[in-house]
Amino acid sequence: MALANLKGRVAWVFEEENFDVDLIVGVKNIKITDIAELAKAAMETYDPAFAASVRPGDMIVGAGNFGYGHPHYPPLRALGHLGVRGIVAESFSPGFWRGEISMGTPLVSCPGIVGAVSRWDEIEVDWAAGVVRNLTRGTSLAFEALSSADYLMVETGGLLPYLKSQMQTA
Amino acid sequence: MGRTLAEKVLSRVSGGADVRAGDEVMARPDFVIVYDFPGYTDVIFRQMKEDFGIERVNDASRYAVFIDHMVPTATPKEEELHIQTRNWCSEQGVPLYERRGIGHQVSAELGYATPGAFAVHFDGHVSQLGAYGTLAIGLRRNILEAFVRERVSLKVPHTTRINLTGTLRKGVMARDVFHHIVRVIGPSACRFQVMEVGGPGLDHISLEGRQTICGLAMFTGAVTAVMNPDATSLAYTDPRNRISTPAVCSDPDAEYAAVHTIDLTDLEPIIVLPPNPANTRNLSEHLGIEVQSGYLGSCASGRLEDLRIAAQILKGRRVKDGFSLHVIPTSQDIMAKAAAEGLISTLVEAGAFTSSPSCDYCFGRIATMTAGQKAVSTGTLNVPGRMGSPDSQIFLVNAAAVAAASIEGKITDPRKYL
Repeated sequence: MALANLKGRVAWVFEEENFDVDLIVGVKNIKITDIAELAKAAMETYDPAFAASVRPGDMIVGAGNFGYGHPHYPPLRALGHLGVRGIVAESFSPGFWRGEISMGTPLVSCPGIVGAVSRWDEIEVDWAAGVVRNLTRGTSLAFEALSSADYLMVETGGLLPYLKSQMQTA
Repeated sequence: MGRTLAEKVLSRVSGGADVRAGDEVMARPDFVIVYDFPGYTDVIFRQMKEDFGIERVNDASRYAVFIDHMVPTATPKEEELHIQTRNWCSEQGVPLYERRGIGHQVSAELGYATPGAFAVHFDGHVSQLGAYGTLAIGLRRNILEAFVRERVSLKVPHTTRINLTGTLRKGVMARDVFHHIVRVIGPSACRFQVMEVGGPGLDHISLEGRQTICGLAMFTGAVTAVMNPDATSLAYTDPRNRISTPAVCSDPDAEYAAVHTIDLTDLEPIIVLPPNPANTRNLSEHLGIEVQSGYLGSCASGRLEDLRIAAQILKGRRVKDGFSLHVIPTSQDIMAKAAAEGLISTLVEAGAFTSSPSCDYCFGRIATMTAGQKAVSTGTLNVPGRMGSPDSQIFLVNAAAVAAASIEGKITDPRKYL
């Protein structure tokens, strides 16, 4: 059990509850399969300069029940292509959670996070300590531990490598 | 302390030891149910073989495959997917149910809704089997686990209990009850939990209506929904059960994450406004919005009581010129019964378009809307783009309200026609 800590800036804070992730690329772009084109559409309605300002390792922060609705996979593929490494939210919608954990996306359920960060703060997710640190402010906040299966899925990189590792050790 | 239905079922299928909410278990599904869909079944069939070297599933009778999407096919590629599915099922000895109706409904008809059983699917609307006391969970892509090994990893969910009281008034239906639950407890109240619905109010709700309530559970954040089996549900399931397992109920002193009591007496028909399923309002406050199409069907509605009330409203009346009303019974069995009752002829004479069951109306594959159009729908979901253009809009209502809107071409209170 040794997930590397996530360290990066808060590239965006979605403050709305029940956020529909499809809006990240826009519903009209949800069927685009070309990743470069999809990434170009990502966040353009929120901040046209997003792609230019985000750096590898940055994270997204969300509010409660993040991913509600009928989440599709392309929005997170697009963010991943731009370098976004994980999402820290007050809480997640289960369908989104299952879908993204199975893709190996680090999701961190951290009550209080929206009030504890500002855009471009430097944060660190310390898996072993179970806290999200705001390195800019010098504060920290406990997050909810992942189940062992979810942890392994993120650690191995997703459902397929997780299952392969399980079948080998079984 | 007593145990919930979910704890009891998961105790049995994870080895027999007493497991409690929060425990991580390896659970053996009694049933693994899927429908063929690109990105799911085709990928699973390939990965089983290529990534895991598994030629055959363990105990083929546990599995069930439905062909209910892309029915009928519109492209050669879709038909190729169905052929691949037919071949796989035939090679594996896995039961295939093709063109029998929407799988979640047909599953109940065929006995997969065995009380006390544990079922998994990739699609969360399988939760409607909970109406019969089956614990049925949608795993999304994690369903792969159920194809490559005997057990799936699961955290035993907590349960939130909803007690219904009172009876429904005329023109108010089960899906209004569900939308009202969302309105009262909020769209995240049951996150990662089981939504358990019971109470005296449930006695007055039909099995069809109970399926509707359980089938939409995901919009409260729930991973599934259950109802304790009662005499009515057992009378339906007893002759159908596919496996022999004890029906279980939550104990009266089970530990719930929360308990809510919701009175149905004054409930009105509800409209769920775009753009998401949390946007529930009283329909009476949104009358007059012009709509161009109506969909009565889906795994959430489209059963006999829905067809009956629509026929009652449309008997001797006409669908407004230029309005497209699609009435699609949820299963072949329902369609045959509706025909025998004369409901289909009443609806067709009024100007409805009907077809054999298909999932395709619900997600805009057919009866597709263009930008600027609006629909009233008994489908599962109202997010933008669900039934066509992302710039079209979906208003979720009950079956009576779809019928009423089709007469006037605008959002209409169905109670005046009843």
